[in-house]
Amino acid sequence: MSNEHFTEPEVNENQNVSPLDDFDNAETVSAAPKSDNSILDFDDDPLSATSVSKKSLVIFFLIDTSGSMKGKKMGELNTVMEELIPEIRRVGEADTEVKVAVLTFSTEVRWMYSNPIPIEDFEWARLRASGVTSMGAAFKELNHRMSRNSFLNSPSLSFAPVIFLMTDGYPSDDYKEGLRELQTNSWYKFGLKAALGIGQEANDNILAEFTGSKDTVVHAYSGGQLAQMIKIIAVTSSQIGSKSMTLSDDTGHEIGEEDVFAAKQKLLGQQIQELVSTKTDGDDVPFDTGW
Amino acid sequence: MIELEIGQEVEMEFGGKAKVLSVIGSGGQGVVYLVRFNGQKWALKWYDINKMSKPAAFRKNLQNNINDGPPSNKFLWPKYLTKEAEDGTFGYIMELKPEGFDSFVDILNTYKLEVDPLTGRGVKRPVKFNTLSAMVTCVINIVNAFRQLHRAGKSYQDLNDGGFFINVNTGAVLVCDCDNIAPDGSNFGIGGKPGYMAPEVVRGIAQPNVQTDKYSLAVVLFKLLFRGDPMEGEKVVKDVCLTESSELKHYGQNAVFVYDPDDDSNRPVRGIHDNIIKFWRIYPDYIKEAFIRSFTTGISDPTKRIIENEWQKLFIRLRSEIIQCGCGRTNFSSMFIHQNEKTFKCPKCGMEFVTIGFSNRDYRTPLYLGCKFYQCEIIPESDDFTAVAGELVENKLKPGVLGIKNCSDRQWKAKMPDGEFYDIAPGKGFPVWQGLEIDFGEVKAQI
Repeated sequence: MSNEHFTEPEVNENQNVSPLDDFDNAETVSAAPKSDNSILDFDDDPLSATSVSKKSLVIFFLIDTSGSMKGKKMGELNTVMEELIPEIRRVGEADTEVKVAVLTFSTEVRWMYSNPIPIEDFEWARLRASGVTSMGAAFKELNHRMSRNSFLNSPSLSFAPVIFLMTDGYPSDDYKEGLRELQTNSWYKFGLKAALGIGQEANDNILAEFTGSKDTVVHAYSGGQLAQMIKIIAVTSSQIGSKSMTLSDDTGHEIGEEDVFAAKQKLLGQQIQELVSTKTDGDDVPFDTGW
Repeated sequence: MIELEIGQEVEMEFGGKAKVLSVIGSGGQGVVYLVRFNGQKWALKWYDINKMSKPAAFRKNLQNNINDGPPSNKFLWPKYLTKEAEDGTFGYIMELKPEGFDSFVDILNTYKLEVDPLTGRGVKRPVKFNTLSAMVTCVINIVNAFRQLHRAGKSYQDLNDGGFFINVNTGAVLVCDCDNIAPDGSNFGIGGKPGYMAPEVVRGIAQPNVQTDKYSLAVVLFKLLFRGDPMEGEKVVKDVCLTESSELKHYGQNAVFVYDPDDDSNRPVRGIHDNIIKFWRIYPDYIKEAFIRSFTTGISDPTKRIIENEWQKLFIRLRSEIIQCGCGRTNFSSMFIHQNEKTFKCPKCGMEFVTIGFSNRDYRTPLYLGCKFYQCEIIPESDDFTAVAGELVENKLKPGVLGIKNCSDRQWKAKMPDGEFYDIAPGKGFPVWQGLEIDFGEVKAQI
């Protein structure tokens, strides 16, 4: 993989910065000067360490807040998201600082907070539903923010982000155009993508277009399922996303780049499918009935 | 996977039932529960056998480990297997982590998050070693545990920061997650994670074994002392996003140590790797050289990796070179002024420290009030690095007079100012003076 994968289209246009310069930034990356070995510097207590430098992982939640989400769906979603935050807190451990960013889309596209918030400090702001489903606009906004100059600005290393889309309906704008833009973004390309369709109207094919495969798309038809699926996807994807890849054991040959390409995304698909197949909760009343 | 319910009872292999009380945690291979069995509380690890490539062989290996017993009391070792469920699912129970131990992860984080049960908010509680001596003792304990394991012909396989509990007051260590331990040469499906895995395992050209354990051990020691990743420097940070292929490159195919003397392409980056930059300056050369060897020639040639016994000697030396000055400054002697061949001087307050030379060491050891030496340092055949043999104390009846107290169970001889050697029985002591000579038996020492 080369550096130009992670370019910021907007900046390239406006400032005419070559893609490589974007990451070979002398300000952010400069090796330490040679040590002077002065023992008169008293900031030398072998016990006064700061935390090991962490890799950063941003989990993006893209949430449909259109009018059709009103009522039980939104209530369930708000509740499960509140409960989910403490569960995700445990996944980072010593290696990874996990941050959360929530983008809601209805008639307008809106971030819950103006920046990704560290999971330790994150508090869920309850969402309300109204308006139409501007999914394409959400994709464009995500593309815009998934950049080193915006939301992914950690000076240290980052893991590719987790992007989790939840929707209950058909997009009311040109989602394809938005998706095309998003697909040029390297963070999206290497990111872990998963999607949850809620109720009968949500179209799994569109969601698979977004995630890149059917394995990472699940569907919830009831409140109980909604809560379960959100937890399964969010916890599994943040677990995989916040850790280095785990290797399979029986390779028998030297691993090449092609063996590891998108390994995490494949693993996510497998694990989601496994978990979904063991958890089927059919007793709840479907969302679309009994209104 | 089949998770257990709270209150569910799991049948043990040799009878009895373990009742599930709560969830302790979950990992890549399964979930750990708090259970009650035979009136006692235990930890039960319950496997997700779908994630295992060879569950039957894995269970057999676990059974063998239980039969063999732990190499020492430093291991939270599997105790009993459960009966196999109809679908082949199984688990094992082990003792619970005792009070007073923190996870290695919390030490690296420098705090642990305690969650307020009412609000769900996390409160940070600092976790750090109480004394420098406790930290170095912890390192010796880790090295010693792996020496014992490897001497038993077994390898740990997936050594990483989740594998230890540490007492920050004493440096005591408990090795946990012992279920992947296997006879050297066999592997039951565990890979590990890049960063801790030896490069040849990352590349897929070797399976975990005793030699790859040695690499992982060096990473663990480096992280504990230098608080950073030995392979993460400028070269890695330039990639911005750590994708699967960049991990393969930086931890496998083209791993470069941040302080490789012959390759400066991957130096630590100020603002990101400040710990490493700071601590690399502090440690004496013999420690730095051991890490350089581990992470340069040791990358491509597993036989060049430092063996546990060598690490143990280096860190016993490092512990003996800690100076605790009256002004509060505590550091290794390498960070004090080497006044002359036999004296160190505190750069902060000017206090001087005489040194003592042991006949079995080619370096001199500083003396200060409260400094200790251990059994292994005066008895050649001893491996006991925790039993204090001698301590520098102030005479209780003659304030201001410093001497060495015999804390061992052997009789020593010491030369007094009158030029004669006197017997020093256990519990007795003798003053430190210019011409002091001590005869411990096989080992002698001289001011």
